[in-house]
Amino acid sequence: MTAALDQARLEAAVAARSGDALTGVRSAALARFLGQGLPGPKHEDWRYTNLGNVVDLSNRWLNSGASSNASVGASTAPEAIDAVWISIVNGVVDRDSLTQADDALGPDVAISLLSEESGDPELLIDDALSSLNAALMPDALRIRISANAGIEKPVGLLIDDTGNDDAVTQLRLIVDVAANASAEFIELHRSESGGSRFCNAVTEARLADGARVAWARIQERAEGDTQIGRLQVTLGRDSNFEHAVVDLGGRLVRNDTMATIAHPGAHFGTAGLYLTGDNQHVDNHVTADHQVGPATSTQNYRGIAGGTSRCVFNGKAMVREGADGTDAEQSNHNLLLSKRAEIDTKPELEIYAEDVKCSHGATVGQLDDTALFYLRSRGLDRDQAARVLTRAFAGSVIEQVPVAAVADYLSTAIDQKLDRIIEDNRDD
Amino acid sequence: MSNDTILDIENLAASVGGTQILQGLSLRVGQGEVHAIMGPNGSGKSTLAQVIAGRDDYEVTGGSVTFRGTDLLELDPEERARAGVFLGFQYPVEIPGVNNAYLLKAALNAKREHEGLGEIDAFEFLKLAREKMALLGMDQSFLNRGVNEGFSGGEKKRNEILQMAILEPALAILDETDSGLDIDALKAVAAGVNALRAPDRSIVLVTHYQRLLDYIEPDFVHVLSKGRIVQSGDKTLATKLEAEGYDWVLEAATA
Repeated sequence: MTAALDQARLEAAVAARSGDALTGVRSAALARFLGQGLPGPKHEDWRYTNLGNVVDLSNRWLNSGASSNASVGASTAPEAIDAVWISIVNGVVDRDSLTQADDALGPDVAISLLSEESGDPELLIDDALSSLNAALMPDALRIRISANAGIEKPVGLLIDDTGNDDAVTQLRLIVDVAANASAEFIELHRSESGGSRFCNAVTEARLADGARVAWARIQERAEGDTQIGRLQVTLGRDSNFEHAVVDLGGRLVRNDTMATIAHPGAHFGTAGLYLTGDNQHVDNHVTADHQVGPATSTQNYRGIAGGTSRCVFNGKAMVREGADGTDAEQSNHNLLLSKRAEIDTKPELEIYAEDVKCSHGATVGQLDDTALFYLRSRGLDRDQAARVLTRAFAGSVIEQVPVAAVADYLSTAIDQKLDRIIEDNRDD
Repeated sequence: MSNDTILDIENLAASVGGTQILQGLSLRVGQGEVHAIMGPNGSGKSTLAQVIAGRDDYEVTGGSVTFRGTDLLELDPEERARAGVFLGFQYPVEIPGVNNAYLLKAALNAKREHEGLGEIDAFEFLKLAREKMALLGMDQSFLNRGVNEGFSGGEKKRNEILQMAILEPALAILDETDSGLDIDALKAVAAGVNALRAPDRSIVLVTHYQRLLDYIEPDFVHVLSKGRIVQSGDKTLATKLEAEGYDWVLEAATA
């Protein structure tokens, strides 16, 4: 990487955030970040996703004082989703919504800010982006679910960025689900059109033995935004984490979805859907790290790409020595709606154990001409036929979205995006 | 022919991938008539069906196709369908993830919109679908399955006839509707087609074998060879073809 962040200004920005209980964590994270710098295209994991614009944007932001855009209070959650929302605007957790959510969710859910907790916070700080995140985070949100609790309503994270200035936000979320508890989470990312932003989100989800979590992440950012998201899941014995990520918006999107399976009986399932048009770039990196067996993981990602967009899937199932009885599945299927769109797909298996069942498959295709003709011969026009086929193609992922509360909202959002892509790529 | 002409094909020529398949085919179908087009493999039967329905893999290189006075070749496949042309596919396409009921309803609404009618309401549609399914001896569960997804050969063909029953076309081209069917399935499909015979509906059966015509009695039979109709007659022509094969017709045509 030729360009780098302006170190002096970065240090100043970190210092400006100090004074609370997270000061030590931030400066340690800064040191860790400066030791490695942002990854460049020579880094294998970042071959396809260039952070050059992120560096430029971040430097402009650092030069202009590295402040958050003013928070405008809690934003309005979509009515179509029945959840208890915590509002996070321009990277800052809205205190009122936190208190209200904490009350609404009852005694088995504890929501807090890490800066207000005592003790030494242990945070995931390893690669450059998680280090940068911890160095610049205004705070960290922690959600704890008590043992044996069954939380009925989904916990929603309403993440909105507003304003037209260059902005950099660092979101940090920690979810601890105690033994045999179950809960659902919704992450909804939105932003106001017209801005140019870099949002770097790091989420840790730690599941104790027998815990069950369903997680849906819907990303609908405006066309100028860059979103980098890391989800690190650690799974206890017999725990279950079902995850789905749907990327509809943003200019440059990178998701690192990683699971560490260190106890037997665990299941990690992740599904992804990305619908891209124009010059969007969506990169999904998924890793299921099977350290012990028996345990299962599934990765099912599908994409529909139009315009000059580019989608990357790099899924990995790592089965370490001794992780016998692992069952790991990966599939990535893509539909190109434009000759100028590009798909890079790389499902990988690395197996060092005996007695494992692993499968992977990847395809890149176009709409089936015979199926299109069949539908048209029944009176559907070309766009409608294309919509029906693309929607059916996406269906296998949509069905897998584990949080029922988002179904209607998602369905509408997906239809709208598909309409746009099909209309824009009609002549391709 | 005393009946009003529904379909008028004049000197039609069409090619696919540079190979000329139809070479000056002419055919006139009157309202309410049932025509059978027979012929050996490779004679152009399926090409004719696909060209009438508007598949753009085929290039029309000459001639005309007029449907109820309109130049059919100018219309997109969906416009032909809405105007009342129906193609029953030889190989109905499996579309996993698309609900059969959804397609039936979308197809019907496309036609209704073309006719200036509003969308059919959900209750009316269900009633209509159930009625037509009963007519064809189909189980209600068909509605909720993916279009042709995992259907047997007979189920697929029956599903084509169900679509036809719901769309009530003025002209149905049924391409090898009998292929791959056992005798029970064949009888069921034929009974469905017979139930849809009507004075305002013309049917063109494209078939390799006479077998189907034991159950659906055509008004006219044509023999297609090398992209042209070389012999026309009534239903006795089919019987003769079954008994004596195609050779005599083809010889007579080239003589």
